[in-house]
Formats: sequence, C-alpha cells, structure tokens
Amino acid sequence: MFTLGSVLDNELKSSVEDFSFETEFSTNQLMLPNIEKPFEFAQSIISLEKDLDENDNQPMFHQQKKEERKERALIKGSKGTTTLAFIYEKGTVVAVDSRATSGQYIASQSVQKVVPVNQYMLGTLAGGAADCQFFLGHLGRICNLYELRNNEKISVAAASKLLNNILYSYRNYGLSVGSMICGYDTRGPQLYYIDSDGSRLKNSLFSVGSGSPFAYGVLDAGYRWDLSKEDAIDLGRRAICAATFKDSYSGGTVKVYHIDENGWVKISDDDASELWYRYEEKEKKNK
Amino acid sequence: MAGKNCVAIAGDTRFGVRNQTVALDSNRIFKINNRTLFGMTGLNTDILTLRESFKFQMNLYNLEEEREISPKTFAHNVAQTLYSKRFGPYFITPIIAGLEGEDYTPFLCATDLIGAMEFPKSFVVAGTGEESLMGVCETFYKENMEPDELFEVVSQCLLAAVDRDALSGWGSVVHVLTKDGITTKRLRTRKD
Repeated sequence: MFTLGSVLDNELKSSVEDFSFETEFSTNQLMLPNIEKPFEFAQSIISLEKDLDENDNQPMFHQQKKEERKERALIKGSKGTTTLAFIYEKGTVVAVDSRATSGQYIASQSVQKVVPVNQYMLGTLAGGAADCQFFLGHLGRICNLYELRNNEKISVAAASKLLNNILYSYRNYGLSVGSMICGYDTRGPQLYYIDSDGSRLKNSLFSVGSGSPFAYGVLDAGYRWDLSKEDAIDLGRRAICAATFKDSYSGGTVKVYHIDENGWVKISDDDASELWYRYEEKEKKNK
Repeated sequence: MAGKNCVAIAGDTRFGVRNQTVALDSNRIFKINNRTLFGMTGLNTDILTLRESFKFQMNLYNLEEEREISPKTFAHNVAQTLYSKRFGPYFITPIIAGLEGEDYTPFLCATDLIGAMEFPKSFVVAGTGEESLMGVCETFYKENMEPDELFEVVSQCLLAAVDRDALSGWGSVVHVLTKDGITTKRLRTRKD
C-alpha cells in the first residue's frame, strides 16, 4: 500500500538517481568534431594575441608551428580588455570597459562585458567573448536550478567552484575565459577569479585583461577595506579610465556596477574618452 | 589629400610600444620648405633618424643649388635614400605632399619602405589604420576642394579612421598647405 511517505521516498530516489553532477551540471552538448585528433584541431583553429607575440626563446619548429597556426586560425581571439572588481566593507564594485579588438582592428566599442549570473551575482567577460558569454549564461542556469532544488540561494564560492570544474574539464581545448565571479551572499561580499586554465582564486581585488597592469596601478594605490560607497565606485571608475587611456586595446565606455545585500545595480555608463577629459579638467582646477 | 591649389597632411600624435601608450606628442609631419610637407609612419627611431638625414640633405641642396627644392625632386630623393638601404631597410612609410611649380599644382607621393613611388591625384594614406583611412577617404574625397573644405574633410577622415584602430589616436594634428603658407591645427581625439 502506498503511503504519502513512500511515494515521496520513491520520487526523491528517482530524482536523485537522475540527478548526477556529470549530466546536469556539465555541458555535454558541446560536441567535438568527428575526426582523428579533435584536441589538436580545436587548439589549432584559435589564435590569441598573446600567442602571436611569444616567439622568442622557442626552438625553430615551435616557431614554424606558431606561424602555421596563425594562418590556419579560423577564430581570431579578440582579447584586449580591462575588467576589475574589488570587495570592500559595504559590498562589491565591478567596473569594465567595452572595447573588442581583433588584431588591431577595433571590432566594437559597445560590448557587454558584465553578464548577470543571478540577482546578486555578476560575472565579467575577458578573453573569448563567445566562451565567456556561454559559460556565464550556463552558470546562471545552474544557479537557478540549485535555488529551485534546495530552496536557498547558492553561495558565490559554490557557484565559482561549479564553473571552475566545468572549465577544467575543457582544459586544453583552446577555450579562453578569464572571468571574475562577484557577488554578495551570507558570508558578505565575495570575489573569485576563474580561468580557462583551471585556476580559481579568491582575493579582495582583481583586474583582468590587457589593461590590467594599468588598472592595478590606480586600484592598489586607492584601495582600502573601509571605503565609502561613493569613493569605492569612483575608484573603480578611475582605474578603468586610466587603463583605457594607457592601453590601446581597452576603451569605449566605462561601466560600473555595485553589489550589496539587495542585489546588483548598474551605477554608471560613461564614455571613456570624455571621462578622461573630465578628470583632466578637474586636475587642472584643483591645481 | 589634394584640393584646389592646396594640400593637407594629417596624422595622429601617439607614440606607443605594442599596446602601451608612451607619449601623446610625437610629431611625425615635418616641413621641408614652404612648398613641401613630409610625413612618415612606422618605426619611431627610423622616423627620427630620417628626419635628421633629410634636414641635412636639404640644407646641402639649398647651399649648392641656391634655391628651394621642388616636391617632386624631394620625393625622388626620398625614394633613393630608402632604396640605398634595400637589404636592411628603414621601417617607415613616407608621404610627401606639396605644391609644384608656378601654378601651385598639388603634388602627392607615397612610397613603400624601399622606395617604390606612387603619384596619386587624390589622396595617400599610411600607418596602422591605413585600411580604415583608405575607406573613409575614398568616401569623402571630391575634386577641387577649397582649403577650408579640405581641412574639414581631412579632419573627419582621420578622426573616423583613428576611432576604429586600437593603435592610433591620443591626439592629432592637421597641416593645410596653400600658396599663402601652412596652417596647423590640433584636433581633439579620443584618448582611449
């Protein structure tokens, strides 16, 4: 005879059996081409700017391979970006530029480099745009499923760990993802850096992209844990602005977001060049 | 770009090393004499060396010939200097613009890094953004423009092309050469 208890037990059991991390959380739908060495092919068709420069201290046949790869590359990785995020007392600040370059050609000045994962988590985009957009969107789906199943919000640490495991399984496939998962959960403001090489790092401030050295300069100089909200936002904006000025591959518009216990909010969206002229004038006035 | 009895040269003023911008005020367009302007793009050290080299050669020419060099002769001089380094070239792309003869007919010349000359009638482009520049100039160029209109067209072409090239920008300068002299103006460009 079926009791309520046993019916629920049966359902739970079957759902637990169906539910396995491999099928639910992985992206088995990414197929590999049906050829002899899919690995090598996947790596050979993408060429990233960083590969093209590192030809020194390599034996000749390596150099030749890189040249071949340059020509055969069907996907020209558009890197060139500056994104930064930092956590402070009152929440998390995320600031990004909006330029995409392929080689030295500016492909777009209006790329969305911040992808919302859910209402209180944002992911940033650096490296391959398509890769980041897909995997961050996928992360959003996973987080939603988690919330529905477990009736509690997923922590930033768990979400970043899920993405990390997925990306690790695609290691050496030529993916390029340099994303930061930023959010606010029960532990307070959280920030993790996730890489397509498989790294997952936790820190209070990160900057990713070709303009990151320039952004770190401004960020490290002005960062304190007990910043006010206004100062923190201004610091993020200034750091990206400095990076767009110094780095040719960053530019476009500067977007700043803030995450606190109520979720994420877009604070501002300014043209990078206008912002620079404005800061210059302010400096002159102060002098 | 050539107009009616006038020519204009415009260029950006960025000096960078790969992705990093080092200086915002590197001038790459030089006046040879009242009739000739000379611009170069490419390796900065070669630009500086050749500027001194051509200054020296022009001083010598003035002393020996006791007259100003004509743009066409100067262009040939440039080509010869570049070809003399055929197997160890200067990595530059020069552009010569001037007004030739009594009628002040516009003269344009561009060469490649080893001195192959080309004398177009309308406009010449060089640099990292040359493909963008070619497109915009082709669209906006028309014949027999007066100096003011020429200035507008050249400025807009440069600004548009520079905004699509990551390695150009950060300030720009436009020179317009007419029989009355050279007017120089600096444009406000994007600094990202």
